[in-house]
Formats: sequence, structure tokens, C-alpha cells
Amino acid sequence: MRATGSSFQRPTDVFRVNPTVFWVTLLLALVLQKVLPLKISLARFFDFPLLAMIYFALVRRDEIFGIFLGAGLGLLQDAFSHGNIGFFGMSKALIGYLAASAGIKLDLERIMGRLVTAGILVFIHDLFLQVIKHALLESVPPFKPLNLLISLMVNVALGLILFQILDRFKQPA
Amino acid sequence: MFEPDSPELGHPRAIWTGKTPRVQAILSRHRPFFVLLAVLLGQLLLLSFQITRERNVSLIRVWAVAVFDPIERSLHKVVQATSTAWRTYGGLWEAQQENQQLRLELVADRAQIRQLSEQAAEARSLRALLDFKNRLPLKTTAAEVIATSPGEASSAVFIDKGSTSGLVTDLPVLTPEGIVGKIIAVFPYTAQVLLITDPSSGVGCMLERSRAQGVLKGTGQNLCQLHYILNDETVSVGETVLTSGLDQIYPKGFPVGTVVQVKEDNTYKSIVVKPVATLDRLESTLVVLKPTSREQQALSFPLHR
Repeated sequence: MRATGSSFQRPTDVFRVNPTVFWVTLLLALVLQKVLPLKISLARFFDFPLLAMIYFALVRRDEIFGIFLGAGLGLLQDAFSHGNIGFFGMSKALIGYLAASAGIKLDLERIMGRLVTAGILVFIHDLFLQVIKHALLESVPPFKPLNLLISLMVNVALGLILFQILDRFKQPA
Repeated sequence: MFEPDSPELGHPRAIWTGKTPRVQAILSRHRPFFVLLAVLLGQLLLLSFQITRERNVSLIRVWAVAVFDPIERSLHKVVQATSTAWRTYGGLWEAQQENQQLRLELVADRAQIRQLSEQAAEARSLRALLDFKNRLPLKTTAAEVIATSPGEASSAVFIDKGSTSGLVTDLPVLTPEGIVGKIIAVFPYTAQVLLITDPSSGVGCMLERSRAQGVLKGTGQNLCQLHYILNDETVSVGETVLTSGLDQIYPKGFPVGTVVQVKEDNTYKSIVVKPVATLDRLESTLVVLKPTSREQQALSFPLHR
């Protein structure tokens, strides 16, 4: 079904995840994102919707899908937040597109490939979010590179676990 | 990140049959990218409607102003520059017209000033002449110089009095400064005066201090030569030369000129005299009418001051 070789070889397979698992995952990601930080302070660095979106865009390898999935999740995140609607929507739409593009070009079934890709995408997401906030908002909390680093490490680690779990539910399209 | 030609895209490629296949092909090939741009732009607009900045003004308005403000400013500047240029042009045109008008007025005014100055000078000259006439124990008549005789070396002028005014030939012509010449031709209303600088002119003269007498002759230029003054006589530069009256034409004691150069020559000195009357700019003169014997006696007193 899938070409073997290095992690960055061009893939040929497209996977689908069970729709129930897909929607439940998204729902859980959004809910956890809201409630977990109340219990665990480190969880404020988690971005479950982002990781879920990256995973689905990577395996689906459809850029349009990635864009709308990212935009939808981001807008919901924005809606839950007390801020303006659109920041997460924009950043996640971009990441959805990039993740799908990466899925098209690279074989990310191997763990290292996923780690590197997820790390880069999380970094781009956080950076893009900061950039547009600073560009658009008048008063923004100062940018803290340490937070960016923590977010990167935490989400990469979380993604590693999440991707392993979700892999169990994927099936070839 | 996207490779439009990738066979792994997984979605059917749309077949475009429009009039601009190249553009449509590009749009079709990069569709995900353009969708991303559209989604980002849509959300950006959404954000811009929500966000307020700068005194509660919505961001979309801030952006709109930011986009249109330079255009409006540029347009305003262009309009202003055009307006200024037009006004400047109009102003320049008016200024040019005004300048032209003022130049004409200036020329007229200058002419008037010159005329008035000339009239003033003439009045002064006439007043001096009148004073001189009143002081003079001779019967005179005033005459204006109206022309000069043709010829480069000519030293003769025409005056506006002639035989109808009682003029005859050999009458002396004077100015308050000194003698000018004598009348050599008389016409009914004009007379020709031979200036003392003419080579054919001869005036009986004497030096003021030594009283040595000689004959003054013109040189054809603005200078005269005093002849027949012996080398024994003491003559100094700056000394005044007066009429001696011996020529029976010029009354005695009138200033003729001043000595400007003295040289000893064979027997007689060579003396150059500069006439005191401004012969090259003569305007008003007095013609001494034929003196009576009593007037002739009165002229024994020197008249120059």
C-alpha cells in the first residue's frame, strides 16, 4: 500500500480515519483545551486542536481539507476565547495547509519525521499567531521566546503520543 | 510547500474551458494555495471588523484610512500643486502684464524727470544768464543755441536770434562763464557763431596777472593757443586769460580761459589755454549788442569774479 524507504520519501497512500473517531477527537481536543489548564498549569501550553488538525491533515494529504479543518478548529478556539475571532482560525488554516502539503511531499509514518514536522508546524503556528497579534492588536503581551520553546517541546511530546493513538484508527482511503 | 503538478494531490483537476486558459490553469493548479489565501483574507477581514484601535476606531477603518490616506494625500498634493502652479502662472502673467505697464510708466516718468531736470537746469542756466545780464553794463540779448555747423572740425553754432533781433556780424557772444565766440553770419531769425576754439578765430587777450597781451587762436579742438607772449613774461599754469578789447570785438576784461600748459619757444611762449565756457555743451548765450561809447568806457572794469 505504501512505498517504503526513508522518512522523507514521497508517499503514495492516502488514509482516512473513522468519522466517529475524527469528530470525537476534535470534540475532545476542544474540550480538553478548555478544561485541562484549570487542572494542570502546564496544560496552558497544550494545543490539542492543533495537534489533531496536524494529524488529520498529514494522513489525509488534502490541502483544502487541511485549510478548512484548521480554519474551523481555529475559529471554534477563537469563539471559546475572550479575544477577537480569527487569530487561531488564520494560524490553524495556514498550518492545515502546510501539514497537508508536508503529507503530500513527505512520508511521515516514521516517528522522527513526525516529530520534526510537528515541531516545525507548532513553531510556525505559535510564531504566526504572535506575528498577527502584534501586527493587528494595539496592546499585546510581550513575546516570550521561552514560552515558545516550552510550547514547542510540550506539544511535540504530546503529539507523539496522540499520533500513536490515532494511528490505530486510520485506514487506507 | 505545494507542488501543483504532484500526482498525489488526490483530488480531480478541474478542466477549464474559459477564454483565458493560462490564468485558469494557474488558478486550477494552485487552487489550494488560493483557497488558503481566501480563508486567511476572510478571517483577516473578520478580525479587522472586530478589532478597534486608536480611540476605538475599528481596524478595518484604520486600514481603509491607511490605504486610502496616501492616495488622498497624493491627490490632494497634486491638486494643490496644480492649483498653486495655475495661480503662480496666473500671478506671473499678471505680474508680466503689470511689469510691462510699469515699464512703460517708468519710461514715461523717466522721460518726464529728464525733461524736468533739463528744464530745471535750463532754468538755472537762464537765471545765471539773467544775473549775468543784469550785472553786465552792456546791452545784450539772450539767444539759444539751436544747431551746430556741419563738419567734424567745425567750431561754429547757430543761435535762434538773427537780424530781426538786431544782430549783426562780429558781435561777441558770451556766457556767464566767459566768451564763446563771435557772430560771423546773420540771417533773419538765426545767426552763426564762430567759437573761439575754431582755428580761424582770433581773440585779443591778456594774462590776468602780468597783463601781457597776445592773441588767442583756436586749435580746432577744445583748446586754444595764446600767441605772442614773450618768453620773458612769467606765465603760470592755472592763470586766467582775459579779453583785452584790442580786437574791437570782445569787450575788455571778460574771462576767456585758463592756462593749462606753458612752454618756452622761439621768442614767444607756447601757451595752451582751456576755454572757461563749456563750448561743447552750449545752450544759452548772450549776444552783446553794439556797445555805445559810454558802455565801452564801462567795460574798462573787469567783469569776471
